[in-house]
Amino acid sequence: MDLQYDTEHNLLRDSAEKFLAERYGYKTFQEISSSEAGWSPEIWAEIAELGWLGLPFSEEDGGFGGGPVETSLIMEAMGKNLVIEPYLPTVVLAGGVVAALGSAEQKQGILAEVAAGESRLAFAYQDGDTPVTASRQGDDYVLSGTKKAVLGAPMADMLFVSAQEGPNTVVFGMPSKLKGITRRSYRMMDGPRAADIEFNDVTLPAGSRMGDKEDASAEIAFVLDAAIAAVSADAVGAIEAMVAQTVEYTSTRQQFGQPLSKFQVLAHRMVEMKVREEEARASALLATLSLDGAPERRVRAVSGAKAKIGRNARFVHQAAIQTHGAIGTTDELSLGGYAKRLVAYEINFGSTREHLRRYSALIADPEIAGSGLMLDPAAA
Amino acid sequence: MDLVLTPEDIAFRDEVRAFLKENVTDDMRRAGALTAGFLDDPEVAIDFHKVLYEKGWVAPHWPKEYGGTGWTPVQRNIFENECARAGAPSYNGMARQFVGPMLMRYGSQEQKDFFLPRILKGEDHWCQGYSEPGSGSDLASLKTKAESDGDDYIVNGQKIWTTHAHKSNRIFALVRTSSEGKKQAGITFLLMEMETPGITVRPIIGNGGDHEFNEVFFDNVRTPKSGRVGEENQGWEIAKYLLEFERGGAPSAGKVRSRFRKLAAAAKKYCPDDPDMASRIAELGIDIDAMEMLEIKDLSERQMGGNPGPVSSLLKLRWSQIRQETTELMLDVVGADALRWAPERPLYEALQLPREEEELLSLGPRYMNYRAYTILGGTSEIQTTILAKTMLGL
Repeated sequence: MDLQYDTEHNLLRDSAEKFLAERYGYKTFQEISSSEAGWSPEIWAEIAELGWLGLPFSEEDGGFGGGPVETSLIMEAMGKNLVIEPYLPTVVLAGGVVAALGSAEQKQGILAEVAAGESRLAFAYQDGDTPVTASRQGDDYVLSGTKKAVLGAPMADMLFVSAQEGPNTVVFGMPSKLKGITRRSYRMMDGPRAADIEFNDVTLPAGSRMGDKEDASAEIAFVLDAAIAAVSADAVGAIEAMVAQTVEYTSTRQQFGQPLSKFQVLAHRMVEMKVREEEARASALLATLSLDGAPERRVRAVSGAKAKIGRNARFVHQAAIQTHGAIGTTDELSLGGYAKRLVAYEINFGSTREHLRRYSALIADPEIAGSGLMLDPAAA
Repeated sequence: MDLVLTPEDIAFRDEVRAFLKENVTDDMRRAGALTAGFLDDPEVAIDFHKVLYEKGWVAPHWPKEYGGTGWTPVQRNIFENECARAGAPSYNGMARQFVGPMLMRYGSQEQKDFFLPRILKGEDHWCQGYSEPGSGSDLASLKTKAESDGDDYIVNGQKIWTTHAHKSNRIFALVRTSSEGKKQAGITFLLMEMETPGITVRPIIGNGGDHEFNEVFFDNVRTPKSGRVGEENQGWEIAKYLLEFERGGAPSAGKVRSRFRKLAAAAKKYCPDDPDMASRIAELGIDIDAMEMLEIKDLSERQMGGNPGPVSSLLKLRWSQIRQETTELMLDVVGADALRWAPERPLYEALQLPREEEELLSLGPRYMNYRAYTILGGTSEIQTTILAKTMLGL
C-alpha cells in the first residue's frame, strides 16, 4: 500500500500544470471552443512533443509505459485548464481499445501514430436507434447501423466501432472518411465536439477487426471504466479550480465594509466545497488505483467514484456560482466553463443514478459492503 | 502507487485474525453489539485489554520506547480494522489515544515513568475534564479555578459532559490559573485523582437511555502540583494538541464498516426489493469509501506517533456525519421492529432474548446516542470554522 506520488509523478504534474497555465486557460478555451474545428493543431503538436499522447502505451507500441496514475495527472491538469482537445477519445478511449484488443501489428501501427501526434481517434460504443452489426462477406466485413454521441469523432482520422457479430461484440478500426460513413457533428455543452454516425453497408477488410478475441465485451467494459477514472481526475481539476476561485473572490470582494469571506455563512459553505473537493480527489484516486484489480473491485471503485464525484461536482459548481453572486452567472468568468464541464461529467459515461445502481448491486452483499479498500494481492 | 497489501502485511493480518479469533469471546462480542453508547464498558473491556497487554499490543500507535509495537502505519490500520471486524472491545481509548501521546510530548520524566506503564497495564481509567456548563464550544472561557497553595492547587468549579467519570479513577482537566490577558493564556493542564476529597460525580442520563456523561464538581479540592503537565498557563497549547488526536487520531473506517456491514445485512432481510433504500445505502457507501481513502492517505503520510494535524478536523466532521447516517438508515430499514425499547442498562446484562432480537433493542438507543457524535470533541460547526482557517486560510 503506497499512496504517495513519487518524484516522477510530481515532475509530470508540475510540467503539465506549467505548460497548460501558460498555453491554455479560459481565453484560449473560449477561442478554441468557438472555432469551426473545435481543437487546436498547434496545441496538439505541442502535447505530442511533451509525450502526453503516448503516455499510457507500452514502449514496444511506441509509448512511454505510463499507467492510470500518469493519465490521471494529465487529465487533472486538463480539467483545471479547460482543455478540450480530443485527448480522452484519442488516448484513453480509442487508444485504450487498441491497446487492450489489437494485435501486435495493429497496436504498433496505430499507437505510434497517435503518440507522434499524427492521428486522432474516436471510439463509437453507444448504439443509436439501429445497433451496429457486422456480417461477413467473403474476406470482408460489412458494417451497418448507427452510433451516437461519439466524443472526438468530428476531428478523428480513425474510428473504432463496436459491433454485434452474432452473439458477440467486436471492435473494428477504420479511416473516418470511408464510403458509407456519415458523421453528423455537433458541439457539446462544455465545448468538445462529438458526432452521431451512420454506417451504411461499410465494407471493411478482415484486418480491420481489432485482435482475434471472439468477444470483446470485457475489454470494452475495462476501457470505459478506465475512461471514467480519467474523466474523474479531470473533474477533480475543475472542482479544485472552482473552489480556489471562489475563495479568492470572496477574499477580495467587499460588501458591508468587509470581505465576503468574513461572513460565516459563506466561509462555512466554502469549507463544505473544499471538503467535497478532498472527497472527490480521494474517490478519483481510488478509481485510478483499482483499474488493474479484479473486475468486481474495479467496478465498485469506478462506479462509486463516478456517483460520489458527480454528486460533489454538482454541489461545488452550484455553490461556486451562488457564492460569487451575479457575476457568477456571466460568461466573463471561467466559472461557467467549469460548471458546464462538470455537468457533462455527470452525464457522460453513465449518470450518477446509473452508477449508484451498479455500485448498489455489488454492496447488497454484506461481505462486500463490509470489506475495506486495501487489497489482498490474492484478490487483486 | 497502489492499494495492495504486501505479503508481509497479509501475514500480519492473518496473525492478528488468528489472535482475535482465539481471544475475543462470544460474551465480549455480544456486549459490544448491545452497547449503544460510544464507548465499551470498562468492566467488559478490561479482560481483553489484559490479553492485549500480555501480547504487547495495547498501544500500537505509541513509539516502541514507550511500549508501542513498532508497527508501520499500515499494520496499525490493519490491526484496527481487524479488531472492529472481530468485535473486539476497546478499553479506555481516552488514555491510550490522548493521555499517552500528550504525556510523551509534554509530560515530565516522572509523569511518563509513572503514568505510561499504568495505562498500558490498564491500571488507570482516565476521563477528560474539559467542558463546563458555561464553556462548551467556547472552551477557552472555562472558569474552574486552581489556586496555588504551596506544593498544591486548590481547585473549585464544575465540569460537565465528562464521559465515564463514574468509571474513572483519574481525570485530566483544564483549569484556570490566571485571568490576565487572553483567555487562552490563563489555562493549565492538570491531572487529578477522582478519589480526592471534594470531587463529586453526578450522572447525566442520555436520551438514548445510557449513562455515559456526568457532571463533576470540585469543592476545595487539594491536589498536588506534581499533577500539572507542562508549565502553568501552557494548558491551551496542550489541549489543542490532544484534541487533534480526539478528532482524527484513531482510524474509524473499520468500525464504521462493521456497522455498514450490519446495515447491508438488515437491508437484505427487511427490504431487499426497495430501490429507494438501496440507493440511500449506496450513497452512504460511496461516502464511506471516500473517507476511508482519505484516512489511509493520511495514515501513509504520517509518522508513527506523530500529530495527526489539520486533516483531523475534516475526518471528524465527516466520520461523525457518516456514523449518524448509518444509525439513521438502520432505523429506516428495520422500521417498526426498531421501536421496541428496553430501559435497563447495560443491555447485555438486562436482556435474555435470542441474539437477533436483542440487537434490535440497541438500534433506537444507538440512534439517539449517536446524535452526540457531531457535538462532542468540538461540534461540526466548530470543526468547520477550524477548517476555514486551516484549509482555506480564511
